[in-house]
Amino acid sequence: MLLPQVLGKCYKRTVKRKKLEGENRLSSETLTERLERFVITGQEEAAEKTAIEILNACMDPLEVIEENLFSAMKFVGEKFEKGEYFVPELLCAAAAMEAAIRVLTAEMKGESKEKLKAKKIGRVVVGTVSGDIHDIGKNILALLLEVSGFDTYDLGKDVDSMKFIEKAAEVQANIIALSALMTTTRPAQKEVVEFLNEMGLRGKYVVMVGGAPTSKEWAEEIAADGWAETAEQGVKLAQTLIRER
Amino acid sequence: MLERADTGPICLEKDFELKVLLPKLRGIIEEYKIEFDPENIVPSDDSLADDVWRAALELYLGVGTYCTSTHRRILFDESEIREAMKNFPGRFVLGYGKDSRELSHREIEDGRRPFCLFSPDITCDEELFVPMSMAYLQEPLADGVCAPILEEVEGRSIKTGRPFELKGSAAHAMMFREAARRVGRPGIFLQGVGTAQSDAAQIAVSNPIWGERLTDGRFVASISELKVDSSLLNKMVHFHQYGCFVGALTGPILGGYCGGAEGTAIVGTAYHIQGLMVNQAHYQNYFPFHIKYMHNTTRELLWGISLTYQALARNTPLISLSNGFAAAGPCTPMVLYEAAAHGLVSVVSGANLWEIAVARNKYKNRATPMEAKMACEVGCGVAESDIKRSEANELAKKIVSKYEKEIAEAPLGKAFQECYDTRKIKPKDDYIELYKKVKEELRDLGVPFMY
Repeated sequence: MLLPQVLGKCYKRTVKRKKLEGENRLSSETLTERLERFVITGQEEAAEKTAIEILNACMDPLEVIEENLFSAMKFVGEKFEKGEYFVPELLCAAAAMEAAIRVLTAEMKGESKEKLKAKKIGRVVVGTVSGDIHDIGKNILALLLEVSGFDTYDLGKDVDSMKFIEKAAEVQANIIALSALMTTTRPAQKEVVEFLNEMGLRGKYVVMVGGAPTSKEWAEEIAADGWAETAEQGVKLAQTLIRER
Repeated sequence: MLERADTGPICLEKDFELKVLLPKLRGIIEEYKIEFDPENIVPSDDSLADDVWRAALELYLGVGTYCTSTHRRILFDESEIREAMKNFPGRFVLGYGKDSRELSHREIEDGRRPFCLFSPDITCDEELFVPMSMAYLQEPLADGVCAPILEEVEGRSIKTGRPFELKGSAAHAMMFREAARRVGRPGIFLQGVGTAQSDAAQIAVSNPIWGERLTDGRFVASISELKVDSSLLNKMVHFHQYGCFVGALTGPILGGYCGGAEGTAIVGTAYHIQGLMVNQAHYQNYFPFHIKYMHNTTRELLWGISLTYQALARNTPLISLSNGFAAAGPCTPMVLYEAAAHGLVSVVSGANLWEIAVARNKYKNRATPMEAKMACEVGCGVAESDIKRSEANELAKKIVSKYEKEIAEAPLGKAFQECYDTRKIKPKDDYIELYKKVKEELRDLGVPFMY
């Protein structure tokens, strides 16, 4: 599936078809192509309805999630990385994907659910560190990790250092991802690493750090396993660190 | 206002972003047909500036401010906003004695010199705090100064909300006062205290003997976008009751919830209304920035800065300082071009200046007064020369074209201690030479300087 081409066609066709039929549907488009388009253009309600149609057409929901929804979100992520999409487009696309997944997984049998779970690359506990109330960068990272095949546990903002470790133990996480948006809250990233060291747990988790005041040098200084400047780089870093582990 | 934070319409934070702010902003951009034009970094169209103002007012009336602690929206009606604007003084005298300066609302193409606040906007080593502060404080163009931020006090890490934050914040306030006295400007307006992030630490440094005085200024920040929390409101209540000047600190993110240049300009203008209504601020520090590169010196951001200031100049009595964010670091030609472009565009559009965060605002010790000096020299030159927006636009395009392709890979330059003799507190020869060279180059392009 060449999504960019499909998207280009879709936009042109949408205009043409609206004139002809006044409906939100393209005549030659398959159900799955339509679902991809609704995710890429962030149309939550339309994506949900199309997912119902897909189920009614007795298509394999697992295949649709893997082949169409994830690839559509990957395409959205790439557009975000290139600066062609911004956070609103990303969030709307994610909402459309989540709506479709809710429908498709509701009827899914145990075996398929297990298969879907088994496809996950790893588990990441993510949050903005103690004392820091900013979360936009962390939200983007959590979203991109999720659509890139990670099970993501978002603890929110101003998260106590020990909570990261407790959650990581609870969900058997592979990665702890720590965001800090202020120079004065950055030391809390170091504190999590110190806690892990002192509790003898450092080898159990990969620790990633990021956020505006952080840098590669800072990550090295606090002995984190990796640093990413942007959320997209954060996903690539997580993938690399999991592979290397 | 405070009561509204406890009684306003209840709303989930995610819904505020996705179901309240985003659709309203998108609808308004479409309704007013506001569109970024890369060839008009400094637009000369008054009706466009007025549209940005009307769009921002409509946005703010519809969306309000979200309080993340109470999960409620703080809403105002138009008559309340008009009342607050009518009663806003439009000018204040900051600092005291011979060092006091007037900070006032500015008009587009205003011939009066802008208020220039010098700030490194970055953290520094504890032992560099006084020399770096003195370097900024001794700059003749500085009407006010904000100090660097401490990461450590007495060799121990400062963590927000912990006792060392209070100790570090007090040390910051004491040393900054000492630095101001040592350069012979004891009454200069000091903006503080950046080391104090928590409400407790801010309250702890309100002290007319050794800390923040009534003639100094304090910030109440916001959370992206158009959000506050109880800790921020606590600071606001305390600052007003203590009696110092209150600034609203806001930086809408291009590429974030604002979307592109248009949304950033509109949200940025709306933030000024929030600053007046929620923070009851005397002035605003305004720093829109790029989500990835932490700068605001490329066309789309300068265009938004220009329009926000033109919108405010034409439609409000509000006071705002335009805070530059450069991608490049000290002692590089690029950072001086970025500073010049930011000072030029901001002042001709109606802003005062707050200069300048550099090197993507992320590297400790990586800022010097030389970058701020360039931005303010250009800004003051622009005011004195009475150049028009159309002329400023042509100049801005020439300057921006010198660096815009390098933004993603901007050089980080050097640290303060590499650029300055930290004992004599003087810039080193290589930076002085570079500064002179770039200044002559800019002068040849037609950029006005006072001297």
